[in-house]
Amino acid sequence: MTAALFLSLIVFLPAAGALLLAFIPSKSHNALRGFSLAVTAVVFLLTLGFFMPGWQGTFDTAQAGMQLAFNKAWIPSFNIYYFLGVDGISLPLVLLTSFISLLAMGASWSITKHVKGYCILFLLLETGMLGVFVALDFFLFYVFWEVMLLPMYFLIGVWGGPRKEYAAIKFFLYTLVGSVLMLIALLMLYFNSDLREIALASDLFENPQAAVSWEELHLSPQVTERVTTMLQPHADQFVAIRAGEVDMPGQSVHTFNLLAMAAIGQHTTQYDDALLFNWTLQEWAFLLLLIGFIIKVPSVPFHTWLPDAHVEAPTPISMILAGVLLKMGGYGIIRICYPICPEGGYNWMWLVCILGVVSMVYGAFAALAQKDFKRMVAYSSVSHMGYVMLGLGVWSVGMVGGLNPFNSDYWNMGIKGAMFQMIAHGISSAGMFFMVGVVYDRVHHRNLDEFGGLFGRMPVYTALAIGIFFAGLGLPGLCGFIGEVLVVLSVWNFSKLLAVISAGVVILTAGYILWAIQRVYLGPEYKGPHGEALTPMTPREVSIGAVLLIFAILLGVFPYHTVLRYMDATIDRQVDDLTEWTERVKHPSLEAQPEQQARATVPPTVAVVLAPVAPANVVQNGAVDDASR
Amino acid sequence: MESLPVLLGLAVLAPLASFFVILLLGPSLGHGGKSAAYVAIGAIVLAGLLSFISLGIWLANHWPEAPHDDHHAAASEHAGDAHEGESQNAKSAHDSHASEGVAGDSHAASHHGSTPPKVSGEYYVLAKIGDLQLSISYYIDSLTIAMFCMVTLIASCIHVYATGYMHDELHDITDHEAHTADGEHVHRPGRFHRFFQYLSLFCFSMLGLVLAGNVLMVFVFWELVGICSYFLIGFYIERKSATNAANKAFIVNRVGDFGMIIGLMAIWSSLGTFAFDELFEAVRPGPSHVLQTPDGMVYASAQDRVRDIARELGPDATPDQLETAIQERATTENWRNVGPDGKAPGYGYWLLIVAGVGIFCGCVGKSAQFPLHVWLPDAMEGPTPVSALVHSATMVAAGVYLAARFYPFFAPEVLFVIAIVGAITLFMAATIAITATDIKRVLAYSTISQLGYMMLAIGMGGWLAGVMHLVTHAFFKSLLFLCSGSVIHAVHTNEMPEMGGLIKKMPWTAYTMLIGCLAIAGAGIPFVIGLSGYYSKDAILEQGHLFMTTNPGWGAVFFWAAAGGAAITAFYMFRMWYMTFLGKPRNHHRYDHAHESPWSMVAPLVILAVFAVGVAWPIPFSSLRLSTLLEQARPAGGLNDMQGVLVNMVWPNEHDSHAASHVIPATLIAFGTALSGILLATMFYVWQPHLAGEVRQQFSPIHRFLVNKWWFDELYDWIFVKPTHVVSGVAARFDRNWIDWIVDGSAKVTRRFAYGWEWLADRVVVDGFVNVFAGWMYSLGLATRRVQRGNLREYVLFILVGALVLFVVISIFRVTYAGGS
Repeated sequence: MTAALFLSLIVFLPAAGALLLAFIPSKSHNALRGFSLAVTAVVFLLTLGFFMPGWQGTFDTAQAGMQLAFNKAWIPSFNIYYFLGVDGISLPLVLLTSFISLLAMGASWSITKHVKGYCILFLLLETGMLGVFVALDFFLFYVFWEVMLLPMYFLIGVWGGPRKEYAAIKFFLYTLVGSVLMLIALLMLYFNSDLREIALASDLFENPQAAVSWEELHLSPQVTERVTTMLQPHADQFVAIRAGEVDMPGQSVHTFNLLAMAAIGQHTTQYDDALLFNWTLQEWAFLLLLIGFIIKVPSVPFHTWLPDAHVEAPTPISMILAGVLLKMGGYGIIRICYPICPEGGYNWMWLVCILGVVSMVYGAFAALAQKDFKRMVAYSSVSHMGYVMLGLGVWSVGMVGGLNPFNSDYWNMGIKGAMFQMIAHGISSAGMFFMVGVVYDRVHHRNLDEFGGLFGRMPVYTALAIGIFFAGLGLPGLCGFIGEVLVVLSVWNFSKLLAVISAGVVILTAGYILWAIQRVYLGPEYKGPHGEALTPMTPREVSIGAVLLIFAILLGVFPYHTVLRYMDATIDRQVDDLTEWTERVKHPSLEAQPEQQARATVPPTVAVVLAPVAPANVVQNGAVDDASR
Repeated sequence: MESLPVLLGLAVLAPLASFFVILLLGPSLGHGGKSAAYVAIGAIVLAGLLSFISLGIWLANHWPEAPHDDHHAAASEHAGDAHEGESQNAKSAHDSHASEGVAGDSHAASHHGSTPPKVSGEYYVLAKIGDLQLSISYYIDSLTIAMFCMVTLIASCIHVYATGYMHDELHDITDHEAHTADGEHVHRPGRFHRFFQYLSLFCFSMLGLVLAGNVLMVFVFWELVGICSYFLIGFYIERKSATNAANKAFIVNRVGDFGMIIGLMAIWSSLGTFAFDELFEAVRPGPSHVLQTPDGMVYASAQDRVRDIARELGPDATPDQLETAIQERATTENWRNVGPDGKAPGYGYWLLIVAGVGIFCGCVGKSAQFPLHVWLPDAMEGPTPVSALVHSATMVAAGVYLAARFYPFFAPEVLFVIAIVGAITLFMAATIAITATDIKRVLAYSTISQLGYMMLAIGMGGWLAGVMHLVTHAFFKSLLFLCSGSVIHAVHTNEMPEMGGLIKKMPWTAYTMLIGCLAIAGAGIPFVIGLSGYYSKDAILEQGHLFMTTNPGWGAVFFWAAAGGAAITAFYMFRMWYMTFLGKPRNHHRYDHAHESPWSMVAPLVILAVFAVGVAWPIPFSSLRLSTLLEQARPAGGLNDMQGVLVNMVWPNEHDSHAASHVIPATLIAFGTALSGILLATMFYVWQPHLAGEVRQQFSPIHRFLVNKWWFDELYDWIFVKPTHVVSGVAARFDRNWIDWIVDGSAKVTRRFAYGWEWLADRVVVDGFVNVFAGWMYSLGLATRRVQRGNLREYVLFILVGALVLFVVISIFRVTYAGGS
């Protein structure tokens, strides 16, 4: 099986399954669900193929670049290509998606209305989600992003709770606003891109100082041929062209290729034109994309669609929403915002970090006040995804303030923490929503004050639920802890104030989780209606809950072996690239125009500049004395 | 020595295995879950055996030296061993660093500079980020091994005890303290196996904490013991008070952890490691092992200077050149000692203090020190074996353990903070214990007070005294708790006013508890021999006396707080014992039903009593004893006098406290205070029982103040809990009332606009135009309709005229436009 076939199969198998579902009679509910479950299971097994050694689809952890990448013409007249691939950033998310989809489908037996439509939309949704994570053409990415939006709208709007229309439209409009902003940024970046310049900066032609590997951009052969025929005749003038003394021959070649865009953003000045307010195109594009993505994360103040959507969505859809959809925001920021617009990322780093911390604190406080179980969990998602924002934002740590020797290890740590937090939250929040759903299916209410005593009534359920809630609480040994600790520890060098605030969130988190556990699971008796319906979990429910808990434990105890080692190489590479960009481009420009620093160091009092020299490299004074003696 | 990590690692994992077995098999373990106890006991006894085997291996390699003699040679031998141990584990990623440290130390042969013998290394990696690495690792020295033996021994006793104490849980239970909404008692199935499941998890966590080789791993297990404590405090989940206490314990601990995380961040961001040996080497580099601000902290704080250097060198300088330049400048300008304003403290010193105080904050939470002590008394809601194991002997002592383990990292100012907190805690808790009537709460406040003693000792530089007291206290306090449990088991109440005269009914409990009371009071024959508390408490007072002679002001405060606390301790312990066991029975119903506990409960009491008496005794004809064993773990450089930088005080060398000029007054004062406390209690509660009530009335404001526990709970509720709820309510309302108002409002506005636009644009403008146009056409039609009257001649005329007009128009058109050819 070729890479192209393998990745395409993973992405489109659910859609094909949805097509086949059309031929199963609407009445046979179990056949519909069973078939859908089988499809999600096959997709999950396929994604496990990345770990199977010794074939083309094997994922190589040592390799930093795109793997299994392929590029086929789709709408070549507009430079749109069918370009897929995985690397250390997308692989864990692809796995998470197929895994959570499988479990969520398993949790879909409680859906009894229009089962056929539900299953079809569910599978289309899975295609959209997987597509977003493997698409490397910006236009294709945008298409998958929209493909995922529509089924979600119907899944909430048709199968939701009492206020489903409101929630669905709110979700749809919010995401659509984000999409529109993304579309604007996409077109801005597209029309300002030009492959000729990057071709000259790369090793496509004989170039002693090649900064970019043309091969690694995975452009389609036609594009390469076009660029080559355009430029090759002028090979003797390349030095002069690079120096800007001679005009570039031919017409510009635009691209939607995300890797090529990143190379353009980091190695050319094509995105540096000044636009409105004298902000550069990069800054504008970063801001537009950032808003588009943080609506999805969601970050305060764009978060209020989330509690409504969760409260109204049926349980499996909540699992998908919290487990996978929110991660798309974080993925977009790390895959698109920073590499393509490093200048924007640098200048807006305070915005990203402060939004992250505000989300953490605000979400935690709001969770503490909720009376609705599911709303409480939804706000905990806001709080937990704040860690992701913060970790991605401190990406720029040590970059502040001009010429400094800095150690990029700490922002590397922040970004790894953010990635791990996304995976961990995918498991713990899906688990939490599932646990709420189990009890909701029985007693049909979610009022936190009308539970109690479930420990005695449903002991297995309580044990699993408490385990998963503790994963959300960030208890060591469970998955939530690792992401939080990696993020929080990386912040100090960026800003001590933000670090202290983010550390303080652990108290609030403990507060709302423990208080919820006390009100729901502990206590002498169940206080709400339909107490007679509190039957023990079915084996299907137990297996879903147990699998989630087992993964929460595995990720918490062996974070390196289960997750981090797959992303290490890619993230190291990306951080190194951006460090190199900072030293080569940003620091000289800051030295040249100190006033431009203004936006980068918004709160000057808390700006901390330097990541210290690692102690290992430093000769201890004592040792010197010793030697001289 | 190589086997130690394996043996102790297995000792940690054995209880974890037991946890999973009981979790999964639970009630199906024979005899209604009773076998769960055997599984748990088997696991903890196995862990105990492994611990004592480790102790044997340790002693075979490092036999402790006798105190006060010349042992330079021995010390250097230990140092050598330590490096062997370290280099065995050189697989660590900090390879170069580690080997550098070894090279630095190998010259260390002088007594004061020797590094303690230890084995350290890592089990596996949690995360790797460039040069940074987080891992699960181990750090084994004599303190680790002593803690393992202490924890497993006490835990084994308590496991056995719990089989008796928790016997009721084997069958269905009616909980008289939990009520349903209609006022009935709660009936529930027993949870015998759950109890042992939690105990096993706790033992795993506690042993892991002690074994930890880096601070992050300490934090990991720190939280895990916290969660076990949460489960065990809330064991009676039906009782609101129990679940509240459990939440309170965990959340208050998290407040401490908040500080600890700040400490961790300060360390991690400047030094890039959490491993104990690397941290200690950075802060106390060999061979002198004198405390200094680590280079990483100096450079982290001197960023402005570093930036200046970077600017001078220009953009082309390599990182190596920059580093060399920074080091040269730091050395010549003495950044370490001269701060930005040209005075001490130097760069990075504040960071060192923040790191130390941060870590200590964690200890404050876990060890229930002022101001975070409020959770521990409430934690007595848990079953008594839990109170004995978790909330007196082991977990709460973990804070002291960490303070001792991290001692080399503490700047004098941090030690000062520790001493102040310890002194306040020991005094405050002791005063509250005087008026408590719940037998377990007396012991809880006593525990807080004793933990304050340990902290005070460590804060005054009495490292060994503090650690000794940690071990001896564990034995006698767990003994006291188990005795109280035995009493509660017999009379089914915690209230001492309901007891009295029980010595006749339960002599074993009474006499073993008396031993515990004597041990905690530090009873002994001065200068000859005493119970275990005699050795450790006297050591603390000796250090206090030494500290007072070097620092008269604060030293006097600390010393007299300790001495006064000793008197109060003796008073309230004997008050408790007298109220419980002597006098006339105050509640005959309860008295009549009282009985001595079964052997499974009494045997552990006897074992613990033996240890409470003799754990600190010297072993005849050898140099082995508790103090010499622990002395081996004394941190490198721990015997240097330390001069404070921000406070003008000197932290004296602990060895000096063994001089007769300190030992004699301290011992006499300790003896005098203990004796007076006991006598006072005897007077109030045995000889003149009416006196207590009179005094209570005489000093009623003070009594109220003490009974209400200094109003800490109320205060915290007002300044922390209530505001938090207010803020959270505001946040939630802000979402609904403001953000959603804007969102929904903009949707509404858009819709209104759409309606309006639709009306204006479509109906008024477009439709209006269309309608008007149609109207014209219509009227035109109406107007022309009149022409059609059916008159044939008129039609012919029209055709004719029309044709003529057409002809003319076309002709004109052709002439003008078509060029008229």
